[in-house]
Amino acid sequence: MNFIKRGLLSVVRKKGKSIILFAVIFVLGNLIAGAISIQQATKSVENTIKTKLGSVATVEFDYESADKTGEFDFSNMTFLSVDQIKKIGEQPAVKYYDYSTTAYSSSKTVKRYEVEDAAIMGGMNQFQVKGIHYAPVLDFAEGKGKIVDGRIFNQEEIDKDQNVAIISDKLAEKNNLHVGDTMVFQTEVYAAEFSENGQLEVTDTRDFVLEIVGIFEQTAAKKEDNKDNKKEKDVQKMFMDTEYLNTIYTSAGVVNAENDFSSEAFLKANPELSEKDVPNDPMYTPIYVLKSPEDIETFKTDIKDLMPKNYIVKTTADEYDSIAAPIKSMSKLSSYVLIVSVIAAVLIIGLVVLLFLRDRKHELGIYLSLGERKGKVLGQVMLEVLIVSIVGITLSVFSGNYLARGVSDTLLQSQTEETSTNEQMFSSMGSYALQTDVTTEDVAEAYQVKLDSNYVLLFYGIGLGAIFLSTAIPLIYIVRLNPKKIMM
Amino acid sequence: MAILETKNVNYYYQDGDQRRYILKDTSVSFEKGKFYTILGQSGSGKTTFLSLISALDQPKEGEILYNNENIKQIGYEKYRRNDIGIIFQSYNLVPYLTAVENVLVPMSITDNSLPTDVKTVAYNLLDYIGLGKSKADRLVTMLSGGEQQRVAIARALATNVEIILADEPTGNLDEEMEQEIVTIFKKLAHEHDKCVIVVTHSNEIAQQSDQTFYLSKGSLVPHE
Repeated sequence: MNFIKRGLLSVVRKKGKSIILFAVIFVLGNLIAGAISIQQATKSVENTIKTKLGSVATVEFDYESADKTGEFDFSNMTFLSVDQIKKIGEQPAVKYYDYSTTAYSSSKTVKRYEVEDAAIMGGMNQFQVKGIHYAPVLDFAEGKGKIVDGRIFNQEEIDKDQNVAIISDKLAEKNNLHVGDTMVFQTEVYAAEFSENGQLEVTDTRDFVLEIVGIFEQTAAKKEDNKDNKKEKDVQKMFMDTEYLNTIYTSAGVVNAENDFSSEAFLKANPELSEKDVPNDPMYTPIYVLKSPEDIETFKTDIKDLMPKNYIVKTTADEYDSIAAPIKSMSKLSSYVLIVSVIAAVLIIGLVVLLFLRDRKHELGIYLSLGERKGKVLGQVMLEVLIVSIVGITLSVFSGNYLARGVSDTLLQSQTEETSTNEQMFSSMGSYALQTDVTTEDVAEAYQVKLDSNYVLLFYGIGLGAIFLSTAIPLIYIVRLNPKKIMM
Repeated sequence: MAILETKNVNYYYQDGDQRRYILKDTSVSFEKGKFYTILGQSGSGKTTFLSLISALDQPKEGEILYNNENIKQIGYEKYRRNDIGIIFQSYNLVPYLTAVENVLVPMSITDNSLPTDVKTVAYNLLDYIGLGKSKADRLVTMLSGGEQQRVAIARALATNVEIILADEPTGNLDEEMEQEIVTIFKKLAHEHDKCVIVVTHSNEIAQQSDQTFYLSKGSLVPHE
């Protein structure tokens, strides 16, 4: 009849007390299990969504912080130099990078692709000509599009500023263009002021020719086509998709040459302006694709000293904060519930154990008077509590998880509806590579309360830890017991 | 030869600067094979004396020797575990255990070597004390007062100790049951060579013991 057997018999034969202790542990266990389930689920959503968002970063001028006082002289603004872009690109966290420059050109022979009857650009036949340095084209490398005909650029074409182009399949289809065909675009220089009839007159123009070497298909749009999105989101998305499908990829040198021409012609037409008023330096938007989302913070720290003043790093992960608001608030709520329920568990179970111990003072005195070591008496009590706790906690693993599913579904539904109305679907970071089509609905879809080993282990750890703590405190009572006072 | 001996044992309560002595310079020795009783009025210190020789409390001064070794050196807990068996007035049995399980408790606590089949030993002890197997397997709360005290005696004997100490063991029992318990004590002393020390109010029990001590004003003196 050692202390282990005594403990087992005590649990089995003193059913009333065991049931009370079980009920207390089960109720509190459900709270803890529910809170842990929600936390685990939100954590997994964070990882999933951040991975989905990718690990793309850009470095850009922070207008907001530079012009806090409203007195910033933008003519003295420092631009990111090619050297600085390259140095940042050499960081170990960077997988590959590109820095592109853009010109808007029109064409007399190539017509814009428009979605159905939407005249979003107000009838202007303009194209975004994107001059790139990364020959495999970063947007394609990141899965935003894929070559369906022809090829991507080779590095020699990019380095030698050749007039090569990759266009979308939609644009090609609309204009009956094929690989090997040439397209003529115009760089138009506009007057500095509106004319009397309210128009900006074209003061100069020149043509440039691009040869199609490849045709791409937009890949990200396909997924969204099947989605039942809200109307305003559809319009916004349609605009972005149309812009992307009308983008002409070419070498950066071609775009720089057209921008140079544009600046010079503008200055010529407006002799009262100086070169300072019309900066001629190419303004590059660098895009850095990092090795993994975990590298984002390291990258941010590493390049702090490499950036000019007032420049900041923006990443796709920044989007997580805005689209995952419902998840974040639920994670916060579950953290509070977890803390409160652990404290409550320690206090309540501690009190229950203490009351039971006082009730068993006589029995404990008997063991001590028979010469039982105090450690074994403590062991017996601990064992009894643990047996009941393990049963209570094991049942709570399932019921708490089930409960968490119900609670989080309700919470998520109400909060998703609230957030969706204010949601910004696209990033404001300027490049398609940094735009994300991950929405709050995607976050809600990714949210799943799972019954996995991590959750079970964490719950057992926290649950049993709280029970150990709550039992250890009342055990001081046993250490202080004086068998003479109890027995005689 | 004395198996248990007290030498100049003092026990007192400190009341400010004053010491209120319960036991003063108490020196007495007990031998194996004898049945001792300790008489005294209520509050005379009988229970205190028993608590000292059972190591449930410690003397303020003096020493208690078991086989010529100070029980302090043996270790109070170890001495209780291996060298004595205690019987209380209110039985003090574990309520959720059966009679035989109660007897098995000290057998799992002691360091003394016991036969391998302790359960059979426990049943035999209960049988010897007068409790058959059917009662041995009952929860102790289902037994009468006399039966519970028999379980307590069997428990005290379970670890094969040489000294049995009892505090008013028949205080809650009727006369017939009292006599049965005393007979057991006499048998334990005379037939099994145990040293049985019983604290009691009862002159009837005292008359049946081999030697009686009377405790008065802190002194324990042989009673004629």
